[in-house]
Amino acid sequence: MDNILALKASGINKDFHDPVTFPVLKNISFEVKKGEFISIVGKSGCGKSTLLYILSTMDTDYQGELFINEKKATGLSLNELAAIRNASIGFVFQFHYLLPDFTCLKNVMIPALRLGKLSYKEVEDKAYEKLKMLGVEDQALKRADKLSGGQQQRIAIARALINDPAIIMGDEPTGNLDSKNSKIVFDMFQELAHNFGQTIITVTHDEDFAHKSDRIIEMSDGAIIKG
Amino acid sequence: MKISVNTEIALTYLSARKKQTIIAAMGVMFGISMFIFMQSLMKGTNDYFEKQSFNTTPHIRLYSENKVADNHIMVTFLKDPSYKLLTNPKQLIQTQGIINPYGVIHEIVKNPQVYAVTPQVTANVIYTSGSVQLTGNIAGVSIIEEDRMFDMQSNMLNGDFHDLDRVNNGILIGKGIADKLSLHTGDNITVTSGTGSPTIMKVIGIYATTVKQIDETKSYANIIQVQNLLGKDRSYVTDIKINLRDYNNAPQVAREIETLTGYKAEDWVQANEQLKAAFKIRAVILNSVIGVILLVAGFGIYNILNMTIYEKIKEIAILKAIGFSGRSVISIFLQQAVYIGLMGGFVGIVIGFSITYMVSRIYIGAGTLKYLPMSFYVPHYIEAVCFGVLTTLAAGYFPAKKASRVDPVKIIRG
Ligand SMILES: Nc1ncnc2c1ncn2[C@@H]1O[C@H](COP(=O)(O)OP(=O)(O)OP(=O)(O)O)[C@@H](O)[C@H]1O
Ligand SMILES: [Mg+2]
Repeated sequence: MDNILALKASGINKDFHDPVTFPVLKNISFEVKKGEFISIVGKSGCGKSTLLYILSTMDTDYQGELFINEKKATGLSLNELAAIRNASIGFVFQFHYLLPDFTCLKNVMIPALRLGKLSYKEVEDKAYEKLKMLGVEDQALKRADKLSGGQQQRIAIARALINDPAIIMGDEPTGNLDSKNSKIVFDMFQELAHNFGQTIITVTHDEDFAHKSDRIIEMSDGAIIKG
Repeated sequence: MKISVNTEIALTYLSARKKQTIIAAMGVMFGISMFIFMQSLMKGTNDYFEKQSFNTTPHIRLYSENKVADNHIMVTFLKDPSYKLLTNPKQLIQTQGIINPYGVIHEIVKNPQVYAVTPQVTANVIYTSGSVQLTGNIAGVSIIEEDRMFDMQSNMLNGDFHDLDRVNNGILIGKGIADKLSLHTGDNITVTSGTGSPTIMKVIGIYATTVKQIDETKSYANIIQVQNLLGKDRSYVTDIKINLRDYNNAPQVAREIETLTGYKAEDWVQANEQLKAAFKIRAVILNSVIGVILLVAGFGIYNILNMTIYEKIKEIAILKAIGFSGRSVISIFLQQAVYIGLMGGFVGIVIGFSITYMVSRIYIGAGTLKYLPMSFYVPHYIEAVCFGVLTTLAAGYFPAKKASRVDPVKIIRG
């Protein structure tokens, strides 16, 4: 494993003001090395999703500093951050959001088409390959909103992987999956981390899943208590 | 063909809501087709009236103006403004008409813009037939030249105007005169001018224009005849009428001829000021109607895009989360507006042309106007498309801008 830092958070604080001001994240600092597979665990409502939105550069309303691939992301313009997300970060939402008007295949292809590095045909082949890995290639041409929850979640994972991002973030990416499919996703993440040097940061409630990963960060009440 | 992912998303959204898309496009279509139809009707009408005015008015009319003499040159010469020059056309008998008219014509013809020149003698006269009298005016012309300039042939009701050159004391009268004095071709009429003695003339034909006032007053005779009628010699000419190859150059050529001859040269624009005013008023009416139509079409597009954005706000958030920049989001929604505009615009052009064509075939038969005058003028169609696209862009921009500002975290967190 390299010693390059894929992600570094230093002194991140965030407050919510609704209905009264309260701190959701308190002085969060940690580092993630390239190729590491990290699980974030903690009680419901402790601020895991909130933290993940900040790490993914989507949420810019916080104090502290964030570095992605050793480059400071804090303070960049929204368009620069969008470009970073497109090329370097794959995100699986807690509630797998797909674009319902498009086929599953298109959903997976869109980030790669946006990136524009590969031809349409190459993107299509690659998308099929990812769908196959997750066992949903037979759903490729269905509209995304016609799929079951677990199927949708796997399409969302395929979409997060399509651009071979340096960092993959998942907010309970296996929350809707049975143990067999959970294992497929876990094995896939592990292989991506260890053989392809992609960094994985997942929030999970699945103890088994967390313990098999490289490192666990445990949160409570908006602070890191272990890891 | 490689289409960008923004375009692909825009097209998917449009086809996912076909009904609204079609309704919005129909708004644009309606606007554009009305634009084309109204423009064609207006240009057609304006052209018609313009052409109509040339049936009676030359492009330029040269005449001697009764001017009170000014002391400008004398003052320049004497360098003393206290000298006054006292002349008055009422008291001083000046040479009337144009001095050396054929010399003047010779000079005018040298201008390459000039297409036809003809001298004319006009006089106020009283027509008498039996005990009925009527005032009017008579134009002494060369009827061949007159026909070349004003297409007399198309106004002839009966008789042959060539007889003016063949029949001694022949006169061509308007339909209004003929009706009031109950005259027919071949009858005699007595014409009296202010300076000459009464002359009996022979009606050789009757004409009718679209202007009632002309038909009730104006008659034509050979120029020599009118000179005789007035007791003047052959060099007496009151007006020189000039037609140009392109009547749009009339104001400028008129100024040239004015400086060349020293006489007043009135171009058709000056002579038809009320016509120009009517054109302007029509343009204002037309533009406000078109403005309203395009505004409504614009609101249609604004509406559908706003609705799309409201419904798709979650998806916009996802697009931004997976790396679409604000600019990409604007492009996606603006493209939808443009496609609606282009669709509506294209169909609008076809329908606009069809309506214009169909209306131009409607027989109305009012006077000499048999069909509604419609023009088929390509720039109208280009303008229509430009207006359509501009409206759509303006209507699409604000919703698109709004979409680009969606905060993904706020939406995704729920
Ligand atoms: N927009 C908001 N305004 C105010 N408070 C919020 C807002 N969003 C979240 N919170 C609060 O912030 C805290 C952290 O929320 P967060 O979604 O990060 O929890 P979580 O750890 O992901 O929980 P879970 O495991 O249930 O997904 C919660 O107490 C939540 O009620
Ligand atoms: Mg959460």
